[in-house]
Amino acid sequence: MEKELAQYRTQVRIIADVLSTARDMNTDGVGVGITTLLRRGNISYSRMSKLLGELVSSGLLVELNSEKASKYKISEKGIQFLSVYTNFEGFAQSFGLKL
Amino acid sequence: MITTILQFIGVFVSFSIASVSYVGLKKTDSTTLLRMTTAFLFLGVGFTVEGLVGLGNVIPDAAAFTTTAVVIGLLLETMGYFFLAFSHAVDVMVANRIGPALMVFSAITLNSTQLTQILGLASFYFVMYGMVETLYSYKVSKNPNTLLIASGLAMIAVGTFLQWLSVLYISVNILPLIQIIVTEMGLMLLFVPVLGFAVGGERVGTV
Repeated sequence: MEKELAQYRTQVRIIADVLSTARDMNTDGVGVGITTLLRRGNISYSRMSKLLGELVSSGLLVELNSEKASKYKISEKGIQFLSVYTNFEGFAQSFGLKL
Repeated sequence: MITTILQFIGVFVSFSIASVSYVGLKKTDSTTLLRMTTAFLFLGVGFTVEGLVGLGNVIPDAAAFTTTAVVIGLLLETMGYFFLAFSHAVDVMVANRIGPALMVFSAITLNSTQLTQILGLASFYFVMYGMVETLYSYKVSKNPNTLLIASGLAMIAVGTFLQWLSVLYISVNILPLIQIIVTEMGLMLLFVPVLGFAVGGERVGTV
């Protein structure tokens, strides 16, 4: 029986997960709420809030104003980051490593 | 002369991999790519030092390099292999698996031959460790490039073992040549996926 090990994620991997959630879950174009990002990102609320602030200030995410709560949308820069991340993930994987 | 040329092929391969890793490091801030950059920089500088020592043997007037240079070259290579193994060790430890203790040794009271032997053995240990972990990753990912890298590391491990043997059996003249050929073939295997990555559809440095 194969036992699944706890998956450790580096900061860059968490960022990639949050960005890809913001890209993939934004089907109606109005952005993705923090609840969805939390569920898919699998990190604490305080850590996610801090991370979202950093991603918005670095231009990888765009914060959209909403009546209820903030929503987030991936920016062009964020899409480019994800593309680069995917390429180098393949490079590291060739060496049996994870980014 | 052949061994010196082969050493410089190793220099080219190591610096090429270091440069691709560095591009990735700049773009993603990944600690994995930082360790890979460091590993291949050390290997590249180590091979350069050994290559220059080889040139010193070919050109007698330029033989300003001593046994110390050989030991420094080997030390740099061993550090390169250590960082390569260390990347896997970090991965293993954070996944709550039992990681092997990393070798720490003192070089204070050792002469150059003993140092060369220890560095050779340490390199062998690190490369073998990296190879086993890469093979394990292949078992999970089934990525053919990972298998290629594992094969390359296996050949480098054989090379480092032969290097260690060549210090013990100094009268066997063919050993250093076989060692450098096997090591360089291993490095070439490491380079194949990297080459494909670098030229495969402008993937590196486009953003």
